[in-house]
Amino acid sequence: MTLSRRLLLSASIVLFVFLGMTGLVLDRAFYRSTEEAVRERLQGQIFALLAAADFNEQQQRLNISEPLPDPRLSSPQSGLYAGIYDSSANLVWRSPSAVALALPRYTDDEIAKWYFQRLSDEAGTEYFSQSFTVAWESSQGRLNRYVFQVLENHVLFKQQVNRFRSELWGWLLAVSIILLIAQGIILRWSLKPLRDVALDLDSVKAGEAERLRENYPGEIQGLTAGINTFIDSERAQRDRYRNTLADLAHSLKTPLAVLKSGLKDQTDEGGSVMMHEQIDRMKQIVDYQLQRASAAGRTTLGASVPLKENVARIVVSLNKVYADKRIQCDIDMDDALQFPGEEGDLLELAGNLLENAFKWARSRIRISASLQQSAAGKQSLKLWVEDDGSGIPESMRKEVLQRGRRADESVSGHGIGLSVVMEIVSVYGGTVAITSSAGLQGACMQIEIPCS
Amino acid sequence: MRILLIEDEDTLRQQLAATIAAAGFVVETSADGEDGLYQGAEYPFDLAVVDIGLPKMSGIDVIKAWRKAGKDFPVLILTARGRWQEKVEGLEAGADDYMVKPFSEEELLARMRALLRRSTGWAQSQIQCGPVALDMTAQSVLVNGDKVDMTAYEYRILEFLMLHAGEVISKVKLTEHIYHQDFDRDSNVVEVLVGRLRKKIDPENQYKPIETLRGRGYRFAIARSAEQAI
Repeated sequence: MTLSRRLLLSASIVLFVFLGMTGLVLDRAFYRSTEEAVRERLQGQIFALLAAADFNEQQQRLNISEPLPDPRLSSPQSGLYAGIYDSSANLVWRSPSAVALALPRYTDDEIAKWYFQRLSDEAGTEYFSQSFTVAWESSQGRLNRYVFQVLENHVLFKQQVNRFRSELWGWLLAVSIILLIAQGIILRWSLKPLRDVALDLDSVKAGEAERLRENYPGEIQGLTAGINTFIDSERAQRDRYRNTLADLAHSLKTPLAVLKSGLKDQTDEGGSVMMHEQIDRMKQIVDYQLQRASAAGRTTLGASVPLKENVARIVVSLNKVYADKRIQCDIDMDDALQFPGEEGDLLELAGNLLENAFKWARSRIRISASLQQSAAGKQSLKLWVEDDGSGIPESMRKEVLQRGRRADESVSGHGIGLSVVMEIVSVYGGTVAITSSAGLQGACMQIEIPCS
Repeated sequence: MRILLIEDEDTLRQQLAATIAAAGFVVETSADGEDGLYQGAEYPFDLAVVDIGLPKMSGIDVIKAWRKAGKDFPVLILTARGRWQEKVEGLEAGADDYMVKPFSEEELLARMRALLRRSTGWAQSQIQCGPVALDMTAQSVLVNGDKVDMTAYEYRILEFLMLHAGEVISKVKLTEHIYHQDFDRDSNVVEVLVGRLRKKIDPENQYKPIETLRGRGYRFAIARSAEQAI
């Protein structure tokens, strides 16, 4: 699971739990306070009824003077009902709103105590009930006991709570969506440096950059600096390895040059010829083995280098060296084509192939390249070097590709160059083939190198 | 023809200098980059043979500095490493050809002659001006097909004048290019040699190949054969 998904998932869980709990607490608090408000309201109704009540001495009964304190008490089935019971629990008065209703009765009647409860009638309708018992003293000093009860239909309360709940959860949902979107944006912004590191690494891999940039946030600078150190040390090691090999070549070949140059002083003709041959062999072995060992191949942090630009460098150089031959060399490839490897390897590859072509060509050379897509969908770079020389007979082609073999002894160094080409191509997992050039009638060297 | 050889390996430098001198060139040598750069910049040379791996200053930097200073004599680089990266860098720096060590001396001389020829605009190693033919490889001179014997210095003067056929060559320049730098430039040895050359290649005073331009120098007056120019 990606980092951003992990963060987003955990943040969403925390957010939902937090907002859920908040919702529950708010819901509970609202429920309680609404219930409390109902209790106080009903208490107020009882006080108002008490104020409206008057004991009739003659009839020995309690009367409620009109108009009633709350108009809802006068309106039938308004949801607010009141009743007064005597000590025998007989209904002595009921509000006009309660006419024809069988209202549930109070359960406790201790004097001067408030009882707030939820009651249901036989039909199952729920009510909030507030009751209060009073002792009414008549003029004769007799105490008459009355229970005042006010009921309110529970539906009103329920409607109020439901309205609040739908509004509360709607808002909480909207807030959580906004917070989630904000969280996503913050995450994207915060993780951008990490995505940049990945992009940077890709461009280092592709050879478009030498190393990672340095302007990363402090938290990941340790990581990027570590990667840069790794890249540098890998390059330094490769360079050191190459330089050591080159120094070895230098220290071996200069004495060989001295030997070869000094041989003309020898009087023993046969010995001298033999020495020359052996020195040439040693030179070839040193050349081949060192070039073979220094082929870098594709590395994890390897570069890719522009193909046409480097091929053109070789062509310009060889045109200088083979100026007498006045060879026309056409480079036929896209400017954007990249060689998927080291510059040194490309120069070695193109240098050896083109030098052979310059040696053998009469007047024309063509070097072309293109990207090919295999049936399996893999890309490879194909390179053709054609000349208008005498070509390489089919029977000789295999031999030419072998180390130290020469197709024609009269042109020196042919074998080594092609063997080096083969070695580099095999390091990259590619292939070398020799065919005939259809256009120029000479040899055609074909190189194919897979792109990844 | 004056050649500058810069090579740090003493034995190889001495051997090469001897070989190049034996082939009829005047050789000045240098063992490091800084001295080589100085010599090439201060004295006239027709060609330089430069090793790439030199102490004090690399051969490539020496060539770059010469080219920057406008020195356009051909340069042949010697490389022991033989990697194309190095060859290309050398050629891009301004060298004209390269040789990978170890090499045969014959090949080195042949490449040097080819560069000298090319730098003076000749396409082949046999150069021909009218009846006079000069073979740079065999160092022989034919007039109307007959071989003319000449001393090493006479040959050098003729070769230099013919390679620069049509150009006015001052006596000082001629002296510089065929003698070592410590040669006494006031002596009239060049005039004597030119006089002897005239007698050898044109005894009848028929072609008048070498003109004397009073106060300016000499000129090989017979035009080069058209098909031989690059």
